[in-house]
Amino acid sequence: MSHNASLKPVGDSVPKIDNELAVGEDLDFQRRWWRFEKVVWGAFLVIIICDLVGLFGRGWLARAEVSTPDKAFSVEYEWIERANTSSTMTLRFGTAAIRDGKVDVYVSDSVVQDLGAEQIMPQPLMSVVGQGGNVYRFPANGGTASVRIKLQPVTPGIHVFRVQSAGCVPVTARVYVLP
Amino acid sequence: MDTILRAVMGYFILLLVVRVLRRRAGSQMTLFEFVLIFLMGGVIILATVGPDRSVTNCTCAVIAVAALHRFVAWAKMRSARVGTIIDGTPLVIVRHCEWQTDVLRAMGIREEDIAAAARAHGITSLQDIDYAVLERNGRITVVRKARPMS
Repeated sequence: MSHNASLKPVGDSVPKIDNELAVGEDLDFQRRWWRFEKVVWGAFLVIIICDLVGLFGRGWLARAEVSTPDKAFSVEYEWIERANTSSTMTLRFGTAAIRDGKVDVYVSDSVVQDLGAEQIMPQPLMSVVGQGGNVYRFPANGGTASVRIKLQPVTPGIHVFRVQSAGCVPVTARVYVLP
Repeated sequence: MDTILRAVMGYFILLLVVRVLRRRAGSQMTLFEFVLIFLMGGVIILATVGPDRSVTNCTCAVIAVAALHRFVAWAKMRSARVGTIIDGTPLVIVRHCEWQTDVLRAMGIREEDIAAAARAHGITSLQDIDYAVLERNGRITVVRKARPMS
């Protein structure tokens, strides 16, 4: 009976300990690996701490606020967000921004497209599309008013948004969306 | 496309975490380790498939992980260094009846673990061990001291 399989004689290729036991130990590598493990665990610890304080979003350090110099209009948002995770952007209007019981606010397209605006509360009285964004009109009874926009960004990256209340200077901010 | 990238990332993140968790002497999983495996696997699959839980997406993710696993196995076969990085290296923990204390301490192995391995080899006294080796799969191999010819 013949066969064509290639054959190779068994050799003593595995390094031996004390020239008698073939183990293949690589203690130098292992010592380097233990040092690498310490570095990795250090990095893991940093990641856990960053997550606890909110540097990866949804925490204390992720929250931010921008406002006009006269504080008539401000935006609370999370400057670090996570893709496919919801968050809330709150627009606050002071008395200077409210006119005839109504507020008009311009929201740039990036809030809808990049930051994934899904819901706006309360329902606007009207909305107008154009000029790279949407203009909404909301009812405002009393001295202050607020609008909440539920966001759920899909695409990771750096996204800039711009909002402006009628009669106020625009506010611009940057949001980092993590994968 | 996204799923494949997430699967690749998930595979290597899990590989790194499992690799730095170190080998547990005895190689058999305890209930405690089952919790770890199921929890880590469950968490990483959520990130891998993302919001798209369709059969198509999950099938692509599974195939990507299988292909990656096969590639890593091929790389291990081609390169001893890759094999050492992925699986580690065997470590001598007893050498000519002497404990290699730095290895024992670094790997978190107790003398009781070696005694258990010795019993499995029919050795009742630690003094009869010539060599003990912590293998790459976590198992401890024990070599009995040669008996003098009578």
